[in-house]
Amino acid sequence: MNSTENTRTEPVERDGRTEQMEIDTSAKWPLLVFFAYAIGWLIVGGALELAAAIQLHTPTFLATCEWFTHGRLAPAAQNALVYGWGFNAAFAVGLWLMARLSATTLRHGGWLFIAAKFWNTGVAFGVLGILAGYSTSFELLEMPRFVVCLLLVSYALVGVWAVTTFSIRNTENVFATQWYLFGAAFWFPWLYAVAQLMLFNAPVRGVLQPVVNAWYVHGLHGLWFVPVALAAAYYLLPKILGKTIAHYYFAPLAFWWLAIATAFAGGSRLIGAPVPVWIPALGTVANFMLVVPVVLIGLNLFGTLSGRYGALNGSVTLRFVLLSMLAFVLGSAANFAFSFPGVAQVAQFTLLSGLRDWLLFYACFSTAMFGAAYFILPRLTGNEWRSPALVKIHLGATVLGVVLLTVGLAWGGWSQGRMLNDATLAFTDVSRAMTFWFTYRTVGLFVLLLGHAAFLVNFAFIACPFNLSGAAPAQINPPPALEVLKA
Amino acid sequence: MKNGLVLFFGVFAALALSWAGVLLSASQQLGRLGQFKDPTDDTIYPQPLSGLANQGRLVYQDLGCVTCHTQQVRREGFGADLARKWGQRGSYARDYIRDETVHLGSSRVGPDLRNVGNLELHPGADADYFYKLLYAPTSVAPGSLMPAHAFLFDVHPVAGRQPSASALKLPSRFAPGPGLEVVPTARAQALVAYLTSLKDTYDYPIERSRNAPAAKPKEGGH
Repeated sequence: MNSTENTRTEPVERDGRTEQMEIDTSAKWPLLVFFAYAIGWLIVGGALELAAAIQLHTPTFLATCEWFTHGRLAPAAQNALVYGWGFNAAFAVGLWLMARLSATTLRHGGWLFIAAKFWNTGVAFGVLGILAGYSTSFELLEMPRFVVCLLLVSYALVGVWAVTTFSIRNTENVFATQWYLFGAAFWFPWLYAVAQLMLFNAPVRGVLQPVVNAWYVHGLHGLWFVPVALAAAYYLLPKILGKTIAHYYFAPLAFWWLAIATAFAGGSRLIGAPVPVWIPALGTVANFMLVVPVVLIGLNLFGTLSGRYGALNGSVTLRFVLLSMLAFVLGSAANFAFSFPGVAQVAQFTLLSGLRDWLLFYACFSTAMFGAAYFILPRLTGNEWRSPALVKIHLGATVLGVVLLTVGLAWGGWSQGRMLNDATLAFTDVSRAMTFWFTYRTVGLFVLLLGHAAFLVNFAFIACPFNLSGAAPAQINPPPALEVLKA
Repeated sequence: MKNGLVLFFGVFAALALSWAGVLLSASQQLGRLGQFKDPTDDTIYPQPLSGLANQGRLVYQDLGCVTCHTQQVRREGFGADLARKWGQRGSYARDYIRDETVHLGSSRVGPDLRNVGNLELHPGADADYFYKLLYAPTSVAPGSLMPAHAFLFDVHPVAGRQPSASALKLPSRFAPGPGLEVVPTARAQALVAYLTSLKDTYDYPIERSRNAPAAKPKEGGH
């Protein structure tokens, strides 16, 4: 870039900065509220999950209390993490990305407070409902029916905001991040409403119920959590590295292909189940088709990062995003592997089948949200992160926990499946052998919870309006400005 | 992709197609699956759940048993479900039309329960066994990791009243103490009625072929 060009772009650049500050000011309080709820649920859900994990190897733990019997505690923890942490974090990050990329402020943010309040009231009642014995026992739809309307209405308030922000955009171009956010904003309410209608309002009969359930669970991971994580990655990588997405011309194809194939892949969860064979077969075909978009997205994201791995040293965000991208590839590979009957025969119903959803929900989605939070929160509040040690603890615990659990659950799950398929081994012997892996899982979850606690403390400092003495830049170098693409 | 409307229709079509392609067509195929009347003994199968067992299904649901137990028997040649005596045959879609809610389950921390009430497979698995299993799992299944569900039982002193006929006969190691008896509550009774009802003993002649391993294609045949 020569000096004349430099002077020419200078005023535009300054305008861009003031505009960004306006956007951040408009978004500050609604998004901080979403972040606060998200992190609160992350801790509550993590603690419940840890307690449920302990019960697997120490069955007497909390067993006398009906509210905390394992069958209630485990789904309550899962719902607190998915609908409490997952959705609030996705709302905060999604709305911010949408506003920034559409170059428009978040208007009438007061409604978002109301939406946040109602959504979280709904989740709290839902989780308490499960503990109190109103569970429906359908995976990720366990929350009692009385909270469904509350969740849908408050979701609509948030979703409308994302879509309106998109439609009043001041930009000519629409970036990949916006496609994914726009898609996810519509897919979730449709998936949820259809699942509710077909399971509870006008219930389908017999094994159609598990089919609907599998379609919903797969959609929730593949068409809500993964798109939000990819949206964050597509935004943060070029922003932090100061370069455009590599092979960007693949991105539209990857987006559509991913969306269509994922929507059909749910049946692959029912391999070997008493359903018509074409349902798992269709899911298997869809999982095979998914190889292409995963490779294309990998080319986009890793291609952007290639040659710039040195930048990882300077940015916590970038490291979280890299972890998330690796988990996306690994999670997609797990779904692919589960499509082979030989693998499914051993791996289904074990720790491994839990691992595959966990890879997408936690290792891919949640780490992307952590990365985005480290990027967004300093901009939103104008403060710096207070404690670099706590940032390091969070990152270290997350990396360690993800590696421990991925390796351990894969290994333990596989041996569990092998033992279950060996009928000469009594079931109690399988239980005894699995005690080690259940204990191991508890350790992994505890490590993650430590990281979350560090994150909570740092968040409390940065979000507290009276704290002005923060000193830890999550970004060691300020991000270079994006090259302006000349049309 | 600059046009919001195109994006919207694309996003809508992606999910609508999968809804129609998977859920709607599955519902077309299976939605009217009915009971089967056996031509020899004129009985319809699967037989409906008794009222008490149906209440037990709700207890099964509210306690979240599905977290650790599946209710699906995989066919011969796919896993060891039959060898583990979890069923006499693989499950058919038709088996489930008697259940108002179907919980196939996705985890086998505990064993499969689809045929847990089948006394031919599990000779000792009568109501008494399930009461003991729920109150103190290790009293009947040593080494089990199942949590006790003692909250489904009333423990009260025998003194001054007639001992309950339904009190559990527990080994002294698991009993709450001298002079106390353990009586199942209504919820425990419903749950046990449900568990003992879990058996798919009838083999539908029209479904049997679904359970057979796929025939090997003939050499050179098309």
